Amino acid sequence: MVTETQQRLDETHAAAAPVIEVRELVKVYKGGTRAVDGVSFTVAEGEFFGFLGPNGAGKTTTIRILATLLRPTSGSAKVSGIDVLAHPGEVRREVGFAMQTVAVDPLATGRENLELIGRLRRVPASELQGRIDELLVLMKLTESQKKVVGTYSGGMKRRLDLATALLHRPKVLFLDEPTEGLDPQSRNALWEELESVNRSGTTMFLTTHYMEEADRLCKRIAIVDEGKIVVEGTPAELKRTVGNDVVELQLEADSPNELERQRSGIGRMLEGFEPVAEIKSSPAGVQLYVSDAAAAIPELVRRLDGDGIRIGALTMHQPSLDDVFMRYTGKTIREEQANVHFTGWY
Amino acid sequence: MIGVAYETFLLGRRAFLRWARVPGNWISTLFFPLIQLVLFSQLFKDIIQLPGFKESSYLAYLAPGQIVFAVFLGVSWVGINLLMDYHNGYLDKLRVTPINRISILFGEMVPLFVTCAMMAAVILVTSLALGASLVTGIPGALGILALSGLFGIAWAGTSFVPALITKNEQAAGSLSLLFFPLAFMSTAFVPVERMPGWLQVVNNWNPISYVIEAQRALMSTGFDAGLIGKALLAMAILFIVTQAATIWAFRRLTA
Ligand SMILES: Nc1ncnc2c1ncn2[C@@H]1O[C@H](COP(=O)(O)OP(=O)(O)O)[C@@H](O)[C@H]1O
Ligand SMILES: [Mg+2]
Repeated sequence: MVTETQQRLDETHAAAAPVIEVRELVKVYKGGTRAVDGVSFTVAEGEFFGFLGPNGAGKTTTIRILATLLRPTSGSAKVSGIDVLAHPGEVRREVGFAMQTVAVDPLATGRENLELIGRLRRVPASELQGRIDELLVLMKLTESQKKVVGTYSGGMKRRLDLATALLHRPKVLFLDEPTEGLDPQSRNALWEELESVNRSGTTMFLTTHYMEEADRLCKRIAIVDEGKIVVEGTPAELKRTVGNDVVELQLEADSPNELERQRSGIGRMLEGFEPVAEIKSSPAGVQLYVSDAAAAIPELVRRLDGDGIRIGALTMHQPSLDDVFMRYTGKTIREEQANVHFTGWY
Repeated sequence: MIGVAYETFLLGRRAFLRWARVPGNWISTLFFPLIQLVLFSQLFKDIIQLPGFKESSYLAYLAPGQIVFAVFLGVSWVGINLLMDYHNGYLDKLRVTPINRISILFGEMVPLFVTCAMMAAVILVTSLALGASLVTGIPGALGILALSGLFGIAWAGTSFVPALITKNEQAAGSLSLLFFPLAFMSTAFVPVERMPGWLQVVNNWNPISYVIEAQRALMSTGFDAGLIGKALLAMAILFIVTQAATIWAFRRLTA
């Protein structure tokens, strides 16, 4: 499905001064789950790099290995030039990690949370209070700094957690699903904060299963699925590999068999129809990659008239990262949408 | 070394505040010993006339036992705090900082000296108010509080080990109940002379009794180097066993 050239769309991007270097990383959990299955990538200094993939793809496992919380089964990883297995203590000095589950002390105040981590990280006493004030402003927590964290909202806890990861001005910031569970406003606000952290020179490594998030924040993305990197590149490059506009046909079918029959019918009927570059099955129908879709659609619909093809809905859009994911894995990122609606009431 | 001490101080202060900020911690720990102190000293007032008791009143006999009982209860569940940090990710957050990992455990253990001494002080003051005596005065009182603090740290392993091994709050809580009979089989309520033979044998191996006996001497008879020495030895042995097991379980959890 994926050719060699597509695999490494942009080896040149990460060529200068790698801050994260991962080689053939493998993690097999007790019980046999191959959570990470031979992952290699590099991230350059100052880059905003993202892992985009569905739940269970191995994102958390990878990021925990890089943050020295988990030992890989095989392979190697260097952060800031330091081997995570050989010198985990030194790696910990260089990195900050905001974990998928927010970890703050609910019985202490916001400021106390920051003071404790700052002191444990040996932020000099002369700088600590000023640094805390600065981060409280950045994370918009100045007002609530003296309140016990147990009373904070989810978004406030996330921001406090992020602030604790930034206290020591880490070279590299690891972010595991940083906006999971946030409402859209908090998410947008946090995106801006993350961008400003990156602008100040921090190398960012983010994992997410929200394609909008990867699209908005990351300069470069690796799409991961089942422990492997499927494809890697800038969001724009990746979307270009999909190339054409995406036309999604949702089909009305009463059974999986019927759906399959219509899919192959469509394949036959569109054979030789120039503008359609590629046809893929999608969970509720087919996706067509079409050049200049707006012009091609009338003829396309005419061709699909008859032979029991029942089109419930036709939608058309510019390629998104979701389409990229679909193209390389045959699945949508949100599996919860992946196996629904054979009856198509749309 | 200095690093570990500093980190232990920082994490210990957090553990102490976490404890002090929830009044339920105080109340639930002190409730039973206080009830037993007030109620039993009245209910069983006349038991003092039986042979084996050397004290002037059952209250005087009972008080040191209840001090130790409070410490015992106070540390019965402490392992669960570390387990909560493990489950909610705070332990991982600490593990990503470049601290010595053992500081995390010490940070939970060391403040127990303070909290246990404080709870011991409440029971001690209450018993004095009820009419118990303290023949060794302030130095003796400090000795009692110090013994209580040391006992608290040593005994805490009985809570940490099941918590860290099972990784389950419920299981850890119910396993600590297994240690309750030891408190009742000690000399907290009756002197060893009043115990059936088999219990006397058990009692020889019960570290709780040694702590109680030393404290009782401090309250009713005076500085007894022999009893204090035995209490310190019993605690040293207990300490080595429980701490070794705790450190092993902690390393296993955070490996
Ligand atoms: N501690 C663990 N023990 C066993 N299997 C695990 C453990 N953690 C994660 N897994 C499994 O490894 C796979 C990858 O998980 P994870 O790295 O959490 O993925 P993601 O973060 O992309 O959702 C999943 O199948 C998950 O069930
Ligand atoms: Mg995850």
